[in-house]
Amino acid sequence: MRVLSVSEEGAACLDEAGVRHEGVAVELVAPVEPGDRVLVHAGVAIA
Amino acid sequence: MKFSDEFRDAQLGRALAGEILGTVEPGRHYKVMEVCGGHTHSIYKYGIDDLLPENVELVHGPGCPVCVIPMGRVDDGIAMARQPGVIFTCFGDMLRVPGSEHTLLDAKAQGADVRMVYSPLDALRIARENPEREVVFFAIGFETTAPSTALTLKRAKAEGIRNFSCMCNHVTIVPPLRALLESPDLRLDGFIGPGHVCTVVGARPFQFIPLDYGRPVVISGFEPLDILQSVVMILRQLREGRCCVENQYTRVVPWEGNLRALEAMSEVFALRPHFEWRGLGFISQSALKLTDRYSDLDAEARFEVPGVRIADPKACQCGEVLKGVIKPWECKVFGTACTPEHAIGTCMVSPEGACAAYYNYGRLAREKTAV
Repeated sequence: MRVLSVSEEGAACLDEAGVRHEGVAVELVAPVEPGDRVLVHAGVAIA
Repeated sequence: MKFSDEFRDAQLGRALAGEILGTVEPGRHYKVMEVCGGHTHSIYKYGIDDLLPENVELVHGPGCPVCVIPMGRVDDGIAMARQPGVIFTCFGDMLRVPGSEHTLLDAKAQGADVRMVYSPLDALRIARENPEREVVFFAIGFETTAPSTALTLKRAKAEGIRNFSCMCNHVTIVPPLRALLESPDLRLDGFIGPGHVCTVVGARPFQFIPLDYGRPVVISGFEPLDILQSVVMILRQLREGRCCVENQYTRVVPWEGNLRALEAMSEVFALRPHFEWRGLGFISQSALKLTDRYSDLDAEARFEVPGVRIADPKACQCGEVLKGVIKPWECKVFGTACTPEHAIGTCMVSPEGACAAYYNYGRLAREKTAV
């Protein structure tokens, strides 16, 4: 997924199908910035 | 989409198929196991099998998280879901996994409050929104999914949320692979390593395969060109007499894995002495439980459950499919009594299950060839 924005609630990300996901947990890969690509499993970015 | 489209290029795929053909030794039969259910899904979805020469056989491994959950654990989950005041949450695939008599979806239809969640963090949100109810999350998956459960439990503890608990069914991939390599039923030439598990644990845990068993491992991505390139890399190792762990999926997998995820997992989880895998039996140190520090969030300590071991239905051959001993279509009930709509075995439930993947993508092509 591509990171759109980052806030205290997590990251808003856009997936391959163009669906927006809110609140993706990014603690395990932080820091992330808008434009970064992350691999998300079960709502948590792991890479 | 970057990192996807360029790995689905048909022309490059044909070139890799040609490279595979040029690398194999005539007269030798190669058996390569793809460990992960995600790979199985991609292989059938993109028809990768059809691009390989007849003497290169892909064998499906035990890496589908839903497929390996035994019936007794499903029954335990249903027993929790039926307790008064409980909101029982799980991933969507899990709803249709057969227990001894019912599925969680049946329990929901009969009145239990069973809810599908996309993430354990959603289950925690439900607990926050329903402080008068007990919310249970049925955690499944390999090391890919375990970090999300670990992170959720850390948040629950930090926020002091007391009406949330977790029934932990997380499993680890190395012990079943070792069990397969010890099995006399199966002769394998190499492994397509589980790319997403390796994102978390890194490549190092798989070094026992070349070191102890003399088989190459190539950690692979999930797009069709990833898988074809991984097959090329395995065949090259075999041709050149090399044997090691190689990483094809370098755009995602660091050699050491995700250290923060591993740290979270080691805080929250400990190894169970043994755990039952559907079709594979009990395997030592192959699953995770909550550590003492997190035992107050352990649903199994909070609720009484039957805890009974249930044998698989006699007609179901998921065990043989999970061990790669038979192909999905060789199962006696494949596509007749067992379909994705009415699954008898777990391998027909999840999209990552070999039977469901083959039923959805490969079956018609095979029938056409047979005609």
